[in-house]
Amino acid sequence: MAADRSTAELERFLAERADHLLRTAVLLAGNREAGEDLLQTAVERLLRRWGRIDGDPEGYVRRTLCNLAIDGYRRAGRWRQKERLLRTELRQPQDATGDVDLRDALVRLLLQLPARQRTVLVLRYWEQLTDAEAAAVLGCSEGTVKSSGSRGLARLRELADGWTDTAAMSGRNGKRS
Amino acid sequence: MSTDIEDLLREGMDRFTADLRAPAGLTCQIARRRRRRLALRSLTGAATALSAAAVALAVVAVPSSPRAGIDLTADVVRHVNSALTAADPGDIAQMTVTTSSAATYGGTTAVTTAEEWSYGDQWRSVTYSSPGHPLYDEGSSTSSALSVYTLVNYRTQTWTRQSGLGRPAAPLPLPASGKTVLHGCGPAVAAAPLLFRYGLPGMGLPASTLPSTVARSLRTAVSCGTLTVAGRERVDGVEAIKLTSRPDSFISETIWVSPSTYLPVRVVVRSAPGSPVIQQTADITWLPPTAANVARLAVPIPAGFRHVSFPEIAAPTFKQIPAALLPLPRGFCLMPAVSACHGVAFAYGRPPLPLGGFR
Repeated sequence: MAADRSTAELERFLAERADHLLRTAVLLAGNREAGEDLLQTAVERLLRRWGRIDGDPEGYVRRTLCNLAIDGYRRAGRWRQKERLLRTELRQPQDATGDVDLRDALVRLLLQLPARQRTVLVLRYWEQLTDAEAAAVLGCSEGTVKSSGSRGLARLRELADGWTDTAAMSGRNGKRS
Repeated sequence: MSTDIEDLLREGMDRFTADLRAPAGLTCQIARRRRRRLALRSLTGAATALSAAAVALAVVAVPSSPRAGIDLTADVVRHVNSALTAADPGDIAQMTVTTSSAATYGGTTAVTTAEEWSYGDQWRSVTYSSPGHPLYDEGSSTSSALSVYTLVNYRTQTWTRQSGLGRPAAPLPLPASGKTVLHGCGPAVAAAPLLFRYGLPGMGLPASTLPSTVARSLRTAVSCGTLTVAGRERVDGVEAIKLTSRPDSFISETIWVSPSTYLPVRVVVRSAPGSPVIQQTADITWLPPTAANVARLAVPIPAGFRHVSFPEIAAPTFKQIPAALLPLPRGFCLMPAVSACHGVAFAYGRPPLPLGGFR
């Protein structure tokens, strides 16, 4: 039974790659709970198509995660709600205790970006895909990836303006929160 | 700062997710989540999304089952239906059919095996004798709407190739008569298990056992309510969902589907008590259309075999068709869904061959 042999292969694939995919999902979704939900939905779709997928299953899951993240937030408008909440949190960038690292802040700022820009940045800087590879995942042109990434980074810089260069440099020098 | 931002972002993402570990048994979690969602959907009435055919099945096939059983059957049937629809003809199906036939031909049991592949309009079928030697290998490839049929006869060590032959049998024609309509499910007649091989489809006999044909008939069968879920069983050591035909069926049909893909992995068809004892088991493997799998559809010509004309190979090959593979005598009902099926048992577009007519 090839279908059942494939199930064993699926288990092996998940054993090897599920951690990484969960991290991607969490970055796309914004928190662990939503990330797990996203990953489960993507893997459920993978399960349904497992016997018919010819090629890299990780690519399929990654593509599904990205599409779900973009479409889900676009449809449900959940992003807007999250964005408001996050803005409230991040409106005081100068952490009173001074122990919030710019790295952490950037990730939280990342979650404020529109879904497509966030997805492009996750693909480019977390998955370390090229513009062309990211374009293939998202089913758009390389130019769209470049412009989304560029706009996303510009927005991050803008949002990070509240953070002083001193704080940034202290973070770069190894200070951890 | 641009480079800094990019590096910091990369490091931040790494830190943000550093402690994350996917839960063990992710697939089990997904299965549980799916069950919960389905249960919720059922409770909230979202089950109306189920197809009318599935509802018909629930009403017709298991009228006295508890509600949960009905929902389970309807859900499985719906998934099997959509899995088969998606797989045919997008995937290559490989099927090994073992036929055991006794009593009909003098009380002895004859076992034959055929291996079949189909993909769209292309197909290949290799028939083996009881000891496992290939009897003949045939197949049809299609290009530019022209089908080319190839037949290799291992006994005579000859082969032929002929254009315009070898189209797989069309989906079963529906009878004009309304007699076979089952509770509004018009194509019930096509729900017959079609494992019974009539032999040599390329020569004009229905390719009843080709995987694509079987997939179509099973799709109709599940939609028409001829099957109901009968729990889970292990098939070759792997758990599968078992679907069985109704107890009042003329023949017994059991299908096991993979719980992950909902595609059939085994089909067993057995004649009803009192009928000639025939049992067929088909193990089905669904293969992606990779180059290697597509290559399986090609009929290889063994070295040293002689090329002959089509008429020259046809007659001796027909004579080799094992008795068990010949059409069944009129009156042997292949349609569990249709109670009054006499007279339409061979409503497959071709009249049955006389038993032993080519032997």
